[in-house]
Amino acid sequence: MAENPAARTVRASESSIMGLPLVYHWRSLFARRSTTLLTVLVVAAVTAVLAWMLSFAAALRSSLAVAADGRKIIVLKRGATAESNSAIRAEDMNLLTQVEGLDIDPETGRALISPEMLVQVQLPRLADGGRTAANVAVRGVTGTAFSVHRNVQLDGRCFAAGSREVIVGRTAARQFAGLRVGDTINLGYGSDRGYTVVGTFSAGGGPMESEIWGYLPSLMNAYNRTLYSSAALRIAPDADSRAVIERIEGPAVQLNASTEADYWREQAMLVRVYLAVAGVLVGLMAVAAVLSVANTMYASVAGRTREIAMLRTIGFGPGRILAGFVLEAAILALIGGVLGCAACAAWLRLVGNTKDMFGATTFTSMAFQIVLDPRTAAEALACVVLVGAAGAVFPARRAARLPAISGLREV
Amino acid sequence: MTVTYVLMQNLRRNPLRSALTCLAFALPMAVFVAALSFVVALRDMAQANEKQLRLAVHHKTSIINLLPEGMRRRIEALDPQRQRLTAVCGMRWFGGRVPGTPNTLTSLAADADTFPAVYAEVGLTPAEIEAWQRDRRAAVVGRGPAEQHGWKVGGRAVLESTVPPYLSLEFTIIRILDDPQRANVFYFRRDYMDEALREAGWDADKVNIFWVKCVSAEALRSLQQDIDALFADTPDETKSEDENAFIANFTQAAGDIPGLMKAMAVVVVFIIALVAGNTMMMSFRERTRELAVFKAIGFQSWRIFGIVLGESLLLAMAGSLLGIVPAALVLALAPARGMNVGPINALEVSPAAVAGSLIIAAAVGAAAGLWPAVQGLRLRTVDALRIPG
Repeated sequence: MAENPAARTVRASESSIMGLPLVYHWRSLFARRSTTLLTVLVVAAVTAVLAWMLSFAAALRSSLAVAADGRKIIVLKRGATAESNSAIRAEDMNLLTQVEGLDIDPETGRALISPEMLVQVQLPRLADGGRTAANVAVRGVTGTAFSVHRNVQLDGRCFAAGSREVIVGRTAARQFAGLRVGDTINLGYGSDRGYTVVGTFSAGGGPMESEIWGYLPSLMNAYNRTLYSSAALRIAPDADSRAVIERIEGPAVQLNASTEADYWREQAMLVRVYLAVAGVLVGLMAVAAVLSVANTMYASVAGRTREIAMLRTIGFGPGRILAGFVLEAAILALIGGVLGCAACAAWLRLVGNTKDMFGATTFTSMAFQIVLDPRTAAEALACVVLVGAAGAVFPARRAARLPAISGLREV
Repeated sequence: MTVTYVLMQNLRRNPLRSALTCLAFALPMAVFVAALSFVVALRDMAQANEKQLRLAVHHKTSIINLLPEGMRRRIEALDPQRQRLTAVCGMRWFGGRVPGTPNTLTSLAADADTFPAVYAEVGLTPAEIEAWQRDRRAAVVGRGPAEQHGWKVGGRAVLESTVPPYLSLEFTIIRILDDPQRANVFYFRRDYMDEALREAGWDADKVNIFWVKCVSAEALRSLQQDIDALFADTPDETKSEDENAFIANFTQAAGDIPGLMKAMAVVVVFIIALVAGNTMMMSFRERTRELAVFKAIGFQSWRIFGIVLGESLLLAMAGSLLGIVPAALVLALAPARGMNVGPINALEVSPAAVAGSLIIAAAVGAAAGLWPAVQGLRLRTVDALRIPG
């Protein structure tokens, strides 16, 4: 077995104080180039999938975090599971105005209650060139909606009351066809049902950015409806949301109420199941990567018996040897991790970073934009360094326990 | 000294490495067999659907836009001689769930007269068809909810709807379906639902979708155009799609799990190829001299080739069996349909997927062993004997 050239560069003076110098490990990795490369690629493949999954999870998390407005309550019909299958009568909507603890609109002096109607429209997905279509939520709202959903910011003009105009959420405009400003989409029944897109809006990255908004009375008319779907309420700054929810669910009103955070958390169930399935698969692959690293490191230790014995003889303790090998594997994993993150970023850029999924019961799509941000990349790299270190622990222990004298005799 | 003996000795020499390689092979293969099963199941389903020659006709704006049931007569009138279509079945979404449970079943109210013909592959027996025609409360259900709630043929089941006006209806189960693709369905008669809708003062006589059973693929294409043309520029403008295109909208909406599975399968093949390649390269390097000795004592080159390639194949097969068998067992004992999540319901390990996985594993094993094996073939005895170690 050829002498590892890296061993020769170690100077006793610098090594006796600190651990083995980094350059020693770096060069050791290159001494067995093909094996190192193959292991790096295994780690890279696992990291790429892991980074994609973490990015998706982060997109979901941030979207739900934005929706978690503690001062907002969503009211549905009892028995309904989502806004899209809820139906509230006008009388019930009036009962809501008498609920105590609601915020008051300073201009009109009335409680901040936004009556809403939710339907859906089938629009082609841009990601697959329109091969499949998504169910995009269409929300009929009045002016009050903009006081209740405070994170909604208009970009451009709003729909005019009584007109056949709509505004579209930023994410919806990016992911579904026919939603650019100036485009016309068909909504409702009737032969004359074209609605013009006049502007876009953002909702701080929340799920409402996947929706289309229009003027409530026009849309109810278009869909021949006399019932609202749901109501969004803003509660007063000094009121307790629990108490308000109890009042709405109580005998006087008898509707179903939940905070916006709870509502969207429930709708994201399907997405979470999906992520859990992906997580199990990635986990299995990560264990395979650990084993692969272990295999490589065992071979590395076996091939360097003499070298390790030499290091022991010149004064490196078992602890340092152990730490050194773990560090070496961590470096290997880190290289793989960086490659994997780069592959993931390239995939998102070239193949697409948009994804939309049904809410658990809404039948409408929640759209996500998956971005590999530095924080997620750091998380992925941290996981991968752990994978590398875990794979190296046992081989490194074997290295640390090598008897120095007999090891030197080994060929 | 046979090749097999040498093979086994080699694998036993570094048992730790053999075990690690096997395990590193087994885990991704467990993922692979599940992913492949899923892809195979979807392909089978797509092929089965294609054979059924069903055309889905729904409102162009959205499937929630209801269509008047009278459109069925107009569709049927396109082909009065029944040369292109066999039957048309209207369906309306009920969105029912068992009271007190969170899962909404794929519950649909279907036209009583044409359901058995349009869904012929469900395989209702003449006696069951008779029961379906006779009993307005008849229901045909998938085995998922049947197992979960202990429903029996002839027994009762209650579903409450999650869509306005939130009807609660009682049904008589006349058939439990074994088909994994229909594990979560609940079909019942639309006249029964309409009666309840009318009592609640709600819109009856409407459907979400018409399923048109066609006689041939050409007939399906021509009807697709004719139906959309018939209702163009009317309030009930339609969009017609074949069943697979229709389903694709929903599998995409459930996060494109087929796409995820395919991507995972590709990554897995990549990983196991690297793992196997790595092991084979390491063991070949350590054994170059030994192989040269074999050659020197008279082993032919092809035998050396066989020893190296055989080791790789054996490792790959052992590793993949170690992954496939537990994965198949887990999925057989704890079926995914219990999770009740969209297309995951269909996840069952199929013989085709197991065979496919083994073939892939063998191919990867062979590929990984090929380079060292060719090196072995080319080994120049004299040079190799000089290598220390």
